[in-house]
Amino acid sequence: MRWLFSFLALVLLGVAQAKSFSGSRLLVILEEQSEKEKYSALLGDLNDRGYQTTVESPKADKLSLFKHGERAYDHVILLPGKSKGLGPALTANQFLDFMKSEGNVIVALSSSNTIPSSVQSLLLELDIHTPTDKGALVVDHFNYDSVSAADKHDVLLLPFPNPPRRDVRNFFAGEGVLAAPRTVGQVLGNNSPLLAPILRAPSTAYSYSPKEEADIVEDPFATGEQLTIVSSLQSHNSARFTVIGSAEMLQNEWFLADAKLNGKAVKTANREFAKQITEWTFKETGVLKVGKLLHYQNEGQNKKLNTSTAIPENNPTIYRIKEDVAFQVEISEYKSDHLVPFFPASDDTIQLEFSMLSPFHRLNLSPIGQTANSTIFGVSFKTPDQHGIFNFRVNYRRPFLTNIDEKRQVTVRHFAHDEWPRSWQINGAWPWIGGIWVTVGGFVAFVAVWLYSAPTEKSTKKTQ
Amino acid sequence: MSNTSAKGASSKSSGGQLDAQKIAQGVWSNYVKKTPQRVKLLDSFMLFLVAVGALQFLYCLIVGNFPFNAFLAGFSATVGQFVLTASLRMQTNPENKTEFQSISHERAFADFVFGSLILHFFCINFIN
Repeated sequence: MRWLFSFLALVLLGVAQAKSFSGSRLLVILEEQSEKEKYSALLGDLNDRGYQTTVESPKADKLSLFKHGERAYDHVILLPGKSKGLGPALTANQFLDFMKSEGNVIVALSSSNTIPSSVQSLLLELDIHTPTDKGALVVDHFNYDSVSAADKHDVLLLPFPNPPRRDVRNFFAGEGVLAAPRTVGQVLGNNSPLLAPILRAPSTAYSYSPKEEADIVEDPFATGEQLTIVSSLQSHNSARFTVIGSAEMLQNEWFLADAKLNGKAVKTANREFAKQITEWTFKETGVLKVGKLLHYQNEGQNKKLNTSTAIPENNPTIYRIKEDVAFQVEISEYKSDHLVPFFPASDDTIQLEFSMLSPFHRLNLSPIGQTANSTIFGVSFKTPDQHGIFNFRVNYRRPFLTNIDEKRQVTVRHFAHDEWPRSWQINGAWPWIGGIWVTVGGFVAFVAVWLYSAPTEKSTKKTQ
Repeated sequence: MSNTSAKGASSKSSGGQLDAQKIAQGVWSNYVKKTPQRVKLLDSFMLFLVAVGALQFLYCLIVGNFPFNAFLAGFSATVGQFVLTASLRMQTNPENKTEFQSISHERAFADFVFGSLILHFFCINFIN
């Protein structure tokens, strides 16, 4: 009997185990249930990765992102539909609240449908701008698919994206060509540090509204690499939001389609790219976890104390000014279903701040060790000549990686009065030490002579 | 006119120098003759303290005042000792007998020793 229970528990555990770091409940919002077939490969892949998928129409009565004030789902995919409104359960505020409670959202747009007003205001709230004309799409006369869009040039064929900067890890690398059919291009606002483009349009692309009858496009919405086809936002609480400009990218017919780029036959790799995007957005990749964080006095009898990773955090709460201190932090990275040691990109470093209001030290942490599933970063330094309440702070925010902001508060006291060096240890004080002892010696000699010479004077006095 | 007057002035001034020398010699011989031996002892000790204090101050000016507490301790030891010695000189000088009749010389000396010991203790404590 017992083996049956344990087997059952194991099976249930296996079912509950999604590859995502944050949960497995996935809501797919799709208006036409008949269109579900078009996305069957995507949904099948997600199910294989352990997600419990619920497909709902935005018009369903019970539909709500929240239940009893808690998130009812961990992740949401919003696929485009025909209607202009999404109803009271899917307002922009609902989506923002969902992200505030660390839910992840993928929004797919389509140029053949109008963008629902709640999605439009949600995108504006996040500083992602879309063209106002209905049906506007991205066109490129150099990188189009000559099989399916020989005349209209609105199916773009692109390579996998390069990292935006050299010190940013690329989670979306791959071999092959991506097809982006009839894309709604987005423009990212300049002011938000949370936004990051995943896939930019090529420099020869531009946004075009087919309703305009003119032969020449005047004043396009955006051109070239300004336009992003897939863009992302990671909020301060590390909730992730991805906009895919073309819902057709996720459909079965483009997952492994035959296409022709400049006369060369190619196969599209959209399936791999869709996997990368859902993996990243649903926190299967790029998730950082802070393990044990320790600091200790690195001098005198406490040198190299408390460095074992086996015992729990037991850090001192008080230090002295001008004292040698060592700091260590364990950081792991989540990779599909397990934690592995984290290493920052080649040009990047994690930094430690030792701060009271503002940092007194900002130091690069270097990897000093490694465990089975984490890297140990460490640095040694001298506490500044300033007493007060200080923080050890690791604040690490990078595009596509979850944010780390860890603080440990300590008191830094001044020297106790018996911790100063004695006067004779400072050779600059020797002349004045000499001065004191010469004075004392002079005093002793004076007293001796005074006492010795006393009787004679008294006798003279008496005779007088 | 002017020449003679200048000559006269110069001869007068040389005479003045001689006078000053004479006065100084007179003062010195008077001091040596009439001052009691204990007051002379006090004076020489005070002179010694002035010399030691001036040396320390000069050293501070030339070399710098680090560590400042050491300079303060060393310098104030000489100053304090000088003040205490000056008090002892006032109280034991036979010329001031009328003013300090109530205080015997032994009492004054004991006060001096007590004050000096406290001063030394403080200075050594302060220099750490």
